[in-house]
Amino acid sequence: MKLRPILWLLLPAAVLLAGFILAPSLDLFRASLFDPDFTMQHFQRLVDRGVYLDVMWRTIRVSLIVAVLCTVIGYPVAFFINLQPSRRQTLLLFLILIPMWMSILIRTYAWIVVLGRDGLVNQALAALGLAQEPVQMLFTSGAVLAAMVQILLPIQILTCYAAMTEIDFDLIRAARVLGARPRQAIARVFVPLSLDGTLTGLVIVFMLSMGFFITPALLGGRQDTMIANLIEFQVQRLNWSFAAALGVVLLVLTVAMIVLLRGAGRLLARRVLKGGL
Amino acid sequence: MQGLKASWGLTAYFWLIVIYMIFPVLIVIPVSFGNSEFLRFPPESFGLRWYRAYVSDPVWVAATVTSFRVAVLSTVIATTAGTLAGLAISRSPRRAQGPLTYAATVPIVIPHIFIALGVFILALRLKLTDNEVALAFAHAAVAMPFVVLITSAAIRQIDPTIERAARVLGAGPVRAFRVATLPPLIPAVVAAAIFAFFVSFDELIIAQFLMKGSETLPMRIWADLRLDISPVVAAVSGLLIVVTTIAMACAETLRRRALRTLAP
Repeated sequence: MKLRPILWLLLPAAVLLAGFILAPSLDLFRASLFDPDFTMQHFQRLVDRGVYLDVMWRTIRVSLIVAVLCTVIGYPVAFFINLQPSRRQTLLLFLILIPMWMSILIRTYAWIVVLGRDGLVNQALAALGLAQEPVQMLFTSGAVLAAMVQILLPIQILTCYAAMTEIDFDLIRAARVLGARPRQAIARVFVPLSLDGTLTGLVIVFMLSMGFFITPALLGGRQDTMIANLIEFQVQRLNWSFAAALGVVLLVLTVAMIVLLRGAGRLLARRVLKGGL
Repeated sequence: MQGLKASWGLTAYFWLIVIYMIFPVLIVIPVSFGNSEFLRFPPESFGLRWYRAYVSDPVWVAATVTSFRVAVLSTVIATTAGTLAGLAISRSPRRAQGPLTYAATVPIVIPHIFIALGVFILALRLKLTDNEVALAFAHAAVAMPFVVLITSAAIRQIDPTIERAARVLGAGPVRAFRVATLPPLIPAVVAAAIFAFFVSFDELIIAQFLMKGSETLPMRIWADLRLDISPVVAAVSGLLIVVTTIAMACAETLRRRALRTLAP
């Protein structure tokens, strides 16, 4: 195909992204730095107040915990699906996909139904005589973590699964022929080969966690506020410039952490591949 | 994987995790059929009380209609722009394909709250807040990368020689495309459109920032969950869980079919 028709076909997408992603992003940077003259006061305020630093640190910490939990929990699940005959694999994948399709708002609401004062868990505890009074589970960090992991787990499972299907089984067979036990073949051939895809999944989950808004707002308490919640709060109070500064910081932190995680992961992967497990 | 079998422990573990992922969603459905004043589990009696409350409340109905309108417009925009871009990418020089795909899918990496805030601040300056069309375009920008990924993957499976053959046999470029490339592409486009629809229909934050006068369904649910949790949310959620599952299962099946049957 000639170049000119290709450019015409790209035009609507380019206009859409330029108008509704690129221009707003640039305007956000502008709003964070010009109020109306150039100023660093909004970033200064961010650094000066310990509360805001706490929120940023918590956002990174929670996102890391969620990413690691999703990886540790999700990897064996993906491995299990990979062991099944291919027809059953499709069926099992649908089980993973169904919760993933649900909106985050509804999945978070579902956790209110499960963990609320008159929720499922409290009803069960009361029926079993294990608790006299309803246990406070909503508005705790534990509730936020349980829900965030549940919401993001399908993404990590699917990424791990995709990486595992790429692995050439002849390599496993070769290891077996050369005398490796099944466990050894998995630990020394299969796991190192799936490491890169698993790391990609971890980074994706981390990235998505950084922007989480609905779940900490509905299931967490004041102590669970994340950057996105802070942004919404500042928008409500009409502090748009400060909200913009927070948005810029969120984006920069996310990108910086992704680079860091990928770098650390590569280093780890190289070590594992060289030395075995 | 041949020669390896999942142990009993791994099988049990798998089903445990599936329950963890699906159970909290499924439990909403029986709860939504409860008949009592408050949310309770197990419901003391079953009935359609909260579904009736949902469809007879003009506020909820208006929010649903608004969401539907925005999502349809957004789907049309995202699917058109995304499919054309997918076509362009798959037909461009091999060297350019990687960077182009990267550029078209970059919005996936940006946190929604960042996009929402940017769109809101820009809309404030351009006096475009509270504008459903602007909201639909913003949703389309967020959904379009998924359309590009789905359609370009399907186009790659289509044999370009068929279209070339049509050209050799005298068809013009548009006709050749319509006859040779479009028919096998349609399932992927439909799948992409369904995905795009739900990206918009479920989106909360951009709408929350941009809209003041009218309200979308996620905004209504959000407002309700923040104040007092009325069981109407259970009915709406129950309905959405069923509808989303059916629609997305269709989309996923179509997407898979587009990838499978077209392979040479």
